[in-house]
Amino acid sequence: MSEVILLGDEAVARGAIDAGISAAYAYPGTPSTEIFQTIEDYVKAHSLPVRGMWSSNEKVALEEGVGVSYAGRRAMVSMKHVGLNVAADPFMNVAVSGTHGGLVLAVADDPSMHSSQNEQDSRYFADFAMVPCLEPADQQQCYDFTREAFDLSEKLQVPVLLRLVTRLAHSRSKVTLDAPRAQNEARYVDDPRRFILLPGNARNAYASLVDKQKALQDYSEAHPVNALTLREGQRPGILVSGLAWNYLQEALGASLANYNLLRIGCYPLPVKKIRQLLDASSEIWIVEEGYPFIERYVSALGLMRERPIHGKMTGALPRMGELSQDAIKRCFGLPVGVGLQIPGLADVLVGRPPVLCDKCPHSDAYIAINEVIAEFAPNTRVMGDIGCYTLGAMAPYKGIHSCLCMGASIGMAIGAAHAGMNPSLCVIGDGTFTHSGMAPLLDAARDNTNIKVFILDNSIVAMTGGQPTMATDEEVVDLVAGLGVPRAHIRIVVPSPHKKQHTVATLREELAYTGLSVIIARRACVNYAKEIKDLKEVREQRQGIKVVAA
Amino acid sequence: MNYDLVVCGVGGQGVLTIAAVIDRAIHEAGLYLKQSEVHGMAQRGGAVSAFVRISDQPVASDLIAEGTASMVLSVEPMEALRYTQLLRPDGCIVTDITPMENVAVYPKHDALYQVLFSAPRLVAINGTRLAQKAGSIKVQNVVVLGAAASWLPLPPELLEEQLRILFTPKGERIVKANINAFRIGDAASRFSAALFSAGVAPTVIARVVSQIVFEPQAVPQPCIEAWCQRLLRADAAQLAQSLFDANQAVAPEAVPAV
Repeated sequence: MSEVILLGDEAVARGAIDAGISAAYAYPGTPSTEIFQTIEDYVKAHSLPVRGMWSSNEKVALEEGVGVSYAGRRAMVSMKHVGLNVAADPFMNVAVSGTHGGLVLAVADDPSMHSSQNEQDSRYFADFAMVPCLEPADQQQCYDFTREAFDLSEKLQVPVLLRLVTRLAHSRSKVTLDAPRAQNEARYVDDPRRFILLPGNARNAYASLVDKQKALQDYSEAHPVNALTLREGQRPGILVSGLAWNYLQEALGASLANYNLLRIGCYPLPVKKIRQLLDASSEIWIVEEGYPFIERYVSALGLMRERPIHGKMTGALPRMGELSQDAIKRCFGLPVGVGLQIPGLADVLVGRPPVLCDKCPHSDAYIAINEVIAEFAPNTRVMGDIGCYTLGAMAPYKGIHSCLCMGASIGMAIGAAHAGMNPSLCVIGDGTFTHSGMAPLLDAARDNTNIKVFILDNSIVAMTGGQPTMATDEEVVDLVAGLGVPRAHIRIVVPSPHKKQHTVATLREELAYTGLSVIIARRACVNYAKEIKDLKEVREQRQGIKVVAA
Repeated sequence: MNYDLVVCGVGGQGVLTIAAVIDRAIHEAGLYLKQSEVHGMAQRGGAVSAFVRISDQPVASDLIAEGTASMVLSVEPMEALRYTQLLRPDGCIVTDITPMENVAVYPKHDALYQVLFSAPRLVAINGTRLAQKAGSIKVQNVVVLGAAASWLPLPPELLEEQLRILFTPKGERIVKANINAFRIGDAASRFSAALFSAGVAPTVIARVVSQIVFEPQAVPQPCIEAWCQRLLRADAAQLAQSLFDANQAVAPEAVPAV
């Protein structure tokens, strides 16, 4: 037993290590990044036999995790909420096949969209896949629930989703660690048929998943975190889940004792306890971080009239954004504190959004692209993608005109070109290109679509803190050529002020050509020079080993 | 005991390092904490904040309720004003006055200082100048931490100790610069508090203290008294404004003549 101060993400990581994982996989994304980062650092510092990597994307990460589970060992897979969209296919299907070794998927949601394009609630995914979801409220629960999730996954042979939110993932407090558990021995799954999801097997496997629901329901009903407190007489009741519990305690303070209370931290929903709460209460407040997931069930979309229900759907709480103790105070009609008032403050306080770093290569790429496309129709559009370079949407560059999801820029440029947009351009970073840009580029190559793809190769996954990229420099060229883009139309430019003339001339040449061009803007990130150098050394060593082996 | 503070600044200014040092000291002091912070995209030159909550009881919420923070600790003067909604009306702002101008519409400095210096409890220091004095421009954030130290419900020695532990891997020179920075900030803050107790107007204190280049030790008592006497005179506001406008380093013992 030892006590440490940990971020929620770090507590999940330590929980996974102490649960005896043999491997961990992830794709970086705020607010989940520190989970794998911590596992990697800890494993390295303690020379633990735990394998894994920053995977190419979330789908691959989860499939790697399923492979570990198939072989009878434990795996932690982590990603941000929108990453689970990418991993949805293996996720939905490993629910059906079931797990063998413990498989836990930690997903960090981002209500208020601090660093995301939506605030989707991963509890829906767990529900959709019919697998259990654990929702910690503090850092200690992050650690404890992670350990428990592995046991549950092995006991009931299901993947378990651990749902985090930004304020939990990126908040610190004291955590008491327990003794680590040894790793499993490798032991292949006895009956592989459930992993061969041909229709005949899949029907059996799905029937098995349906059968497991009873056990999952019993598990949830009995779970101590799903704690029901009923008081004397008919009173109002509160149903609260996950992190919202923290805010509720401070918002209501001692008056919480006047309410019936059901806390939820384990799903499927404990329906018997909810029934008891409804029966004992005159009206119900439902307080949850994220979508009104519980409220929609309990209120039957507002059709349930036997008890008044107050929550996000009824407008009692804000439908969007994070909760806070103040939002809950307002919901219960309690006074909210008033801060320091300084006259004239509004006149001298302006927003400070994130910006591209000074001397960032992306800035020079946008300057060159803007200069060349100014020669075309005034409404020429550039499809954008996700990374630091998304900040190029802001002034002064205003260089991109879309940002949908990872890898979408190339597909959108293809569609726009087919719809008659000419020129049709897009920008994508090296990390996003290998995450999910290669398949759409293959489409463009097979179709020889008249689009101009800019790959902004800065040699690192910068936005999330400098994780290794899967391909940089000549590796990007090889990938692009391998997908079928003619070498003559794979052009390399250096986005820097003194190479601007060459860059602009190259862009003009490719824009004059009707067909697919890939222009690689190659210059290392200014922020992670040391990391990039280290990564390149590691890469060269590996290539050296390969040559020796051949 | 509950003490909430907002640590803030601009991405890259060491805001999260300040929070980490305070966290470790809270833990060493045997108190409870919860500290939430902003990571990721916001760190690219954007506004960054960390909420540090200290208590002798377990802390529930990760956020600070409106009007309840005891302190805003900022490494940048405009950022110091971003979280006043969370600050108690009698709360304290400890801030560096060095603007980080990475936005096109940054307010005019005069107007910004006018508003900032009207805060009732304020410790305003020139972090850039004091960091140079401490031995490295990089320790600007630690000067501000030092300036907050005497207000926090933590022994300053514990904070110093955590700085030492944190920076030891980077070598003795870096450790020394950080400890100096911390002590210089602390000296500025205690000097500022002494002027306040003596009845010197907060706007005067802010303009004067932000020009003084403190030593990594407390300002001698006779020196403090001389400053108090000088700044209680009728022309204090003009004197403070002229010192501030001159923007020249002032030695602690260089009390202007009448």
